[in-house]
Amino acid sequence: MENYTVERSKVELTKEDFVSDQMVKWCPGCGDHAILSSVANVFPKIGYRKENFCLVSGIGCSSRFPYYVNTYGFHSIHGRAAAVSSGVKIANPHLSVWMATGDGDSLAIGGNHFIHIIRRNIDINIMLFNNQIYGLTKGQYSPTTPMGSFTKTSPQGTIEHPFNPGELILGAQGTFFARGVDTNPKMMTEIMFEAARHDGTSVVEILQNCVIFADKTHAQITSKDLRDDHQLHLKNGEPMLFGKEKNKGIRMRNSRLEAVEIGKDGITEDDILVHDQYQQDPGLHLMLAKMAPPHLPIALGVIRSAMYPTYDDLVEEQIKYAKENSKIKNMDDLLNSGDTWVIE
Amino acid sequence: MKELRLMKGNEAVAEAAIRAGCDGYFGYPITPQSEVMEYLMYQEPHKTTGMVVLQAESEVAAINMVYGGASCGKRVMTSSSSPGISLKQEGISYIAGAELPCLIVNVVRGGPGLGTIQPAQSDYFQSTKGGGHGDYRLLVLAPASVQEMADFAGLGFELAFKYRNPVLILSDGVIGQMMEKVELQPHQPRFTKEEIKANTPWATYGKTDDRGRNIITSLDLDSHKQEKHVTHLAEKYQAMEENEVRYEEFQTEDAEYLIVAYGSSARISQKAVDIARAKGIKVGLLRPITLFPFPKKPLAKLATQVKGILSVEMSLGQMVEDVKLAVECKIKVEHFGRYGGIIPTPDEVVAALEQKIIGG
Repeated sequence: MENYTVERSKVELTKEDFVSDQMVKWCPGCGDHAILSSVANVFPKIGYRKENFCLVSGIGCSSRFPYYVNTYGFHSIHGRAAAVSSGVKIANPHLSVWMATGDGDSLAIGGNHFIHIIRRNIDINIMLFNNQIYGLTKGQYSPTTPMGSFTKTSPQGTIEHPFNPGELILGAQGTFFARGVDTNPKMMTEIMFEAARHDGTSVVEILQNCVIFADKTHAQITSKDLRDDHQLHLKNGEPMLFGKEKNKGIRMRNSRLEAVEIGKDGITEDDILVHDQYQQDPGLHLMLAKMAPPHLPIALGVIRSAMYPTYDDLVEEQIKYAKENSKIKNMDDLLNSGDTWVIE
Repeated sequence: MKELRLMKGNEAVAEAAIRAGCDGYFGYPITPQSEVMEYLMYQEPHKTTGMVVLQAESEVAAINMVYGGASCGKRVMTSSSSPGISLKQEGISYIAGAELPCLIVNVVRGGPGLGTIQPAQSDYFQSTKGGGHGDYRLLVLAPASVQEMADFAGLGFELAFKYRNPVLILSDGVIGQMMEKVELQPHQPRFTKEEIKANTPWATYGKTDDRGRNIITSLDLDSHKQEKHVTHLAEKYQAMEENEVRYEEFQTEDAEYLIVAYGSSARISQKAVDIARAKGIKVGLLRPITLFPFPKKPLAKLATQVKGILSVEMSLGQMVEDVKLAVECKIKVEHFGRYGGIIPTPDEVVAALEQKIIGG
């Protein structure tokens, strides 16, 4: 049987190998720069040959990504990156396919393709840049813009209920979901590495700041004075502790998650939930994905990483089964397989 | 009373739509036309005329919201730029098939594919020859000024309802983005319920005892009926060709040569005519205002007068085919164009005229 794993590099690659010669056309201070740097850091660690990476994007600020990474790339169609990526991976399973997309690209116009790539569990790594705004078209609200936000197309505040991407991804039977912030490149690098290792569709949501059209949209999570109390860094097998002194934690009470302080009201570390990212049941993962300040911290890190057969593997299995069990073994068999008769 | 304003083309079409009694706008951001929706949102027409403005999740959603709104007998519209208009083609074909009125604005940018965000006129074929599947036509208006962007909103709705057919305003990035003086029309009220009942009996305004059920559809599985339906559409397009041809002539009376150009190319060509005339070249300009129906007859007439025609477009040459058909190849017809977002200069047009038509 053919081996479909991605070919590994024979030489050790460095960050510099993945930096392209293109001028990066993002605004100074844009969170995208940090994401680009994390990708350049993580790609050599993954260990594949440079030529075996393929970066696919849709349209938007995020989607300029393929120009800036020194791999093969594909700047495709608005909203269609998931479909294009699917085509790339199915046609050439030898590639490590990465998709750069945004909240407008994948959750508005591309919502359809986005949920179906996840449902199929095709082995692709999706980086979802969530800046809660349309940046490239200069500031219209997106499907993740918080309700009531003032934007170019909502001068009186949006009246639409935003998506929580994690909820959507897990609802579409996502097998891998992680969340990072552009202000923490170290964590971004770690979760991207885990995303690369995951078999199946992995989605990494990156809370990213657009300095021009939605500046400080994630300030509740990233600002220095709030971040310790508003960020929960998940680590598999470890208790869900947060706060500057790590004296706060998440417990389950009456089927709901709540934030508690250790030592207060008799609460001990034993009351705190322990993270199991490999749990097949998505129930708790969904609750974690939905947590948000001010009452609960936002969950960062790998929230879910469940093992399910991938679409690519199942396709291969079907082909293998057909090869082993079909009566047709050669061209003659094929020609004589259907409605054929002998003219006498 | 005259109301004068300095506006962008994108703003002018939006303002004029409110004033034309538009009931609903459905759009999605795309450069270079996002100002249409942004302007409408800032005007808050829901507070004044009751017009609804909605940012959809995609261009496909927007055109189908138009399909829904149009079926209610309402004045509804969408706008986009080339890649977004391509996405709308499915909905447009259905709307044309179901015989519903609506207004679509295309602020064209260079293609194919994602192309560029700079102006072009490369969507002529898509606009005038169908665009989507099936035998249908759009009535296509090509504004050459911000004033016409405003004027064609009202005219577009009027023609859309007259023929129960989608009307397309085929603009481009130049007309959409440039600012000019505009004289705005007074406000026209939105249709009342009674007016919709009286004027659009096909609309889905609810089954009452005095009327049958209306089903909006573009489907007929009986091919004989479908053929009859398409023949009926053809008769409408024939009527448009007879009644709705609009064009403008500039210095054609004594012209020995002719430039044919629409939209922003016509503005450039008008200057080119002045430059050429100063050099002693007797050239005139015919500016088609409706691209479908195309001004075939005036062109055929001019073909008996001039020695050659230069078709100037910001494309590889699309309208030039209609010019050739109109003059039945009796005289020389050549194309000159810049494309991919490049705008030709008047001097380039004169040079092309000299090389391709006069010297050629």
